[in-house]
Amino acid sequence: MVLENALPPFDVWIGPALLFFGVAVAMLAVLALLAGYLVAAFRYGPLGGGDVVFRTLRTAVFDLFSMSPRRIAALAWLAIQESLRRRVLVGFGVFVLILLFAGWFLDPQSTDPASLYLSFVLTATNFLVLLMALFLSAFSLPADIKNHTIYTIVTKPVRPGEIVLGRIVGFATIGTFLLAIMGVISYFFVVRVVDHTHEVEIASLEPIANDASGAVTGRTTLDANHRHQVTIDADGVGSTDTVQGHWHEVDAVKDGDETTYVIGPPRDLYTARVPAYPTSLRFKDRTGRGSDRGISVGYEWSYRSFIEGATLASATWTFHNITPERFPDGLPIELTVRVFRSHKGDIEQGILGSLVLKNPTTGRTSGITTFRAKDNQIDERFIKRKLTDPEGNPIDLFDDLVSDGQLEIELQCLDESQYFGVALPDIYIRARDASFSINFLKSYVGIWAQMLLVTSFGVMFSTFLSGAVAMMATAAALVLGFFSQFIHEVAVGIVEGGGPTEALMRTLTQRNQTTELEPSLTKSVIQAVDSVFMFFMEWVTSLLPDFRRFSDVDYLAYGFDIPPNVLGIQVVSAIGYVIALSAIGYFFLRTREVAR
Amino acid sequence: MSSESSDVVVETRNLSKVYRDFWGRQKVRALKALDLEIRRGEIFGLLGPNGSGKTTTIKLLLGLLFPTSGQALVFGKDATDVSKNERLGYLPEESYLYRFLNAEETLDFYGRLFDMPARVRKERTAELIKLVGLDWAKRRQLKEYSKGMARRIGLAQALVNDPELILLDEPTSGLDPIGTREMKDLILRLKEQGKTVVMCSHLLADVQDVCDRIAILHQGELKELGRVDSLLKLRDETEIRVRGLSEAAQAELRAFFDRSDASVLAMDNPTTTLEDLFLSIVRESEARPGRRVVKQEQQS
Repeated sequence: MVLENALPPFDVWIGPALLFFGVAVAMLAVLALLAGYLVAAFRYGPLGGGDVVFRTLRTAVFDLFSMSPRRIAALAWLAIQESLRRRVLVGFGVFVLILLFAGWFLDPQSTDPASLYLSFVLTATNFLVLLMALFLSAFSLPADIKNHTIYTIVTKPVRPGEIVLGRIVGFATIGTFLLAIMGVISYFFVVRVVDHTHEVEIASLEPIANDASGAVTGRTTLDANHRHQVTIDADGVGSTDTVQGHWHEVDAVKDGDETTYVIGPPRDLYTARVPAYPTSLRFKDRTGRGSDRGISVGYEWSYRSFIEGATLASATWTFHNITPERFPDGLPIELTVRVFRSHKGDIEQGILGSLVLKNPTTGRTSGITTFRAKDNQIDERFIKRKLTDPEGNPIDLFDDLVSDGQLEIELQCLDESQYFGVALPDIYIRARDASFSINFLKSYVGIWAQMLLVTSFGVMFSTFLSGAVAMMATAAALVLGFFSQFIHEVAVGIVEGGGPTEALMRTLTQRNQTTELEPSLTKSVIQAVDSVFMFFMEWVTSLLPDFRRFSDVDYLAYGFDIPPNVLGIQVVSAIGYVIALSAIGYFFLRTREVAR
Repeated sequence: MSSESSDVVVETRNLSKVYRDFWGRQKVRALKALDLEIRRGEIFGLLGPNGSGKTTTIKLLLGLLFPTSGQALVFGKDATDVSKNERLGYLPEESYLYRFLNAEETLDFYGRLFDMPARVRKERTAELIKLVGLDWAKRRQLKEYSKGMARRIGLAQALVNDPELILLDEPTSGLDPIGTREMKDLILRLKEQGKTVVMCSHLLADVQDVCDRIAILHQGELKELGRVDSLLKLRDETEIRVRGLSEAAQAELRAFFDRSDASVLAMDNPTTTLEDLFLSIVRESEARPGRRVVKQEQQS
């Protein structure tokens, strides 16, 4: 699984995050105060404007401490009633319809159907819930203002902040309810849709060559678009190979002279690996000299860097906290490498690679373990405690290769002119497996946080914009949030091709991103305009939530346990945005006339 | 604070409102320098033709609009102060209620906005539904209500907090004659309970029946302000009612009034109707725009 911008541990993240939140809120508050004063001064003169701003702030403090949970609950209840009246449950119908017809557009012969179905249901849920949150939140308050029903609310002792929060809480409640039901439906859908078994093709069973134990091998019937190879030992216990991300247990049941083979349900179809990732990755180039990175094979995406085959180039990961208490039997490691072929070679065989364990202090190494790597395929291997060194002498994993809990694993590519691409999280120790059901539940936290964000943006924009415009503004925030990393990279110049004006000019004049522009007045003007754009783009992307960071689909689909720090950061970030957006909504609603 | 000023529940000082377009240009001058004082326990009527500024005045008093200049005070607090709403009830011109709720849910919801505990809300809801005579329809959604029924439940929500000041915008609009009578009786009962009522209405007979004082607005300006009985009195005319007057005496009544044997039952200025007064003020205002016709001497 790609972890390009892995989130830090929660305790490391929270301090700087709170500081950033405080600074951002303070700067926005100063800007808002200044803008508010200018508008008020324009209407009431310099002194009158100051008085208005002071009274608004004083009222805001008073309102903050006068907020009533009962009033917020009442307004939330009203928002729920309104949502139900607006046929929000139609979303369910759409969701069930999508699931019913999922088979039409999902590839049943996929190499990993579990991952496919999980990605599908979570993406469909995410899309529907965000759409629902967008419509409900953006149109509610403007409809109340248009219908004048707001008159009977604001003429009660209701604070504007209660109106904003009540709506956010109400819509978030209905969204949570929808999400819970969609989650239950999705869970049973993904579990049931890939549940299957096979039968052993008796005719295919034959003794294993050069094996005197009495074990037999054969194949299963073709079910659910795949079949397995089975191996059954003399005691009648066996298993299948791994196909489409799962395997089956096989039991031979003897009844007199007749033997019946029973194949169990799919195993390891849905997993929630808890990986122990390495802490560092370093490289050696083809001459064996140390380097921070491998070489580039021309991909724009620089997440992985590459080592050349049949040279001294290598990638070495360092693990910490490797103790016999944690891994008494040995190390279950899993490795994913990106294979880059400069010639086709034997495409079926995979590229030959080697792994060596190394003591970072003494330099002692284990013997070479070779493997065949296929592109983006998880290679699982178990490193036992008892190993041999390159000379064939017995060594102990923990006594000889681990020093102060540290262990190094070195990877090399052995095929000439072929390359392995690696990144830090591409190798990990599978410390344990968590419950898939709980992991499935955890994957909804990210969707929930996104729903909360969209609801808060929708309600905030609806305090001063009409319904349609508020919806467009919220959708814009959502799109900008999903592409915030790219926009940020454009704004700070990481992406070549300049800002929006320069990009437009390049498009119109058919010049690509990397073509150098000739020095001219036009270029100076364009770059000056872009510097203003890029300043705002950087600001906006710094303030908007990065929605992709709220998605846990990959964790679940690729079979990884969603780490608690990810959930913690998602929930705390979402709550931070709710607080900030509620405050902005309060001031807009407080300073506008709700009547015309 | 003197006892007189503490009796003032609503006060406007030089209150003006200009509606502007998106670009800040003046569209309409809806209210011009309105000075009003409404005292505790009185029923005050705001009258005026369409566009005269009475609804704007009510909205300014409620804080739904912000004044362009001047000040609106309710219970001595600025009209934009939310805390004043604790003691205030408002019945809008139309019943702007949530049509997907039923009567009980509606009153319970508004009760929760006043932070009332559940037990109090339940009692108050039952009491108000009975008061407005909707016991038989309390579980029906408001979208099924007739206009008159919607006015009744609208009034009930305005009274949910047992307010001291009640602002009623066209309270009898949409009510049948019996409903209108009941509404007027209710307004008078509220006055008996010491509550202050401010109402604006087009139905002049209703205003005449219940209001103690009225203000007549036209084109955003205050044209008339005073007690209803005083304003309606025709001071340049005398009305005499007698009994047992002979035909001869009737013939010589004007000349020999003092010398006749008839006993004078009543001698007073006759009154006009509010409708006549209203129309004459509007005609005068249109003929001479900007002129204030307030008869200060009649206000005592």
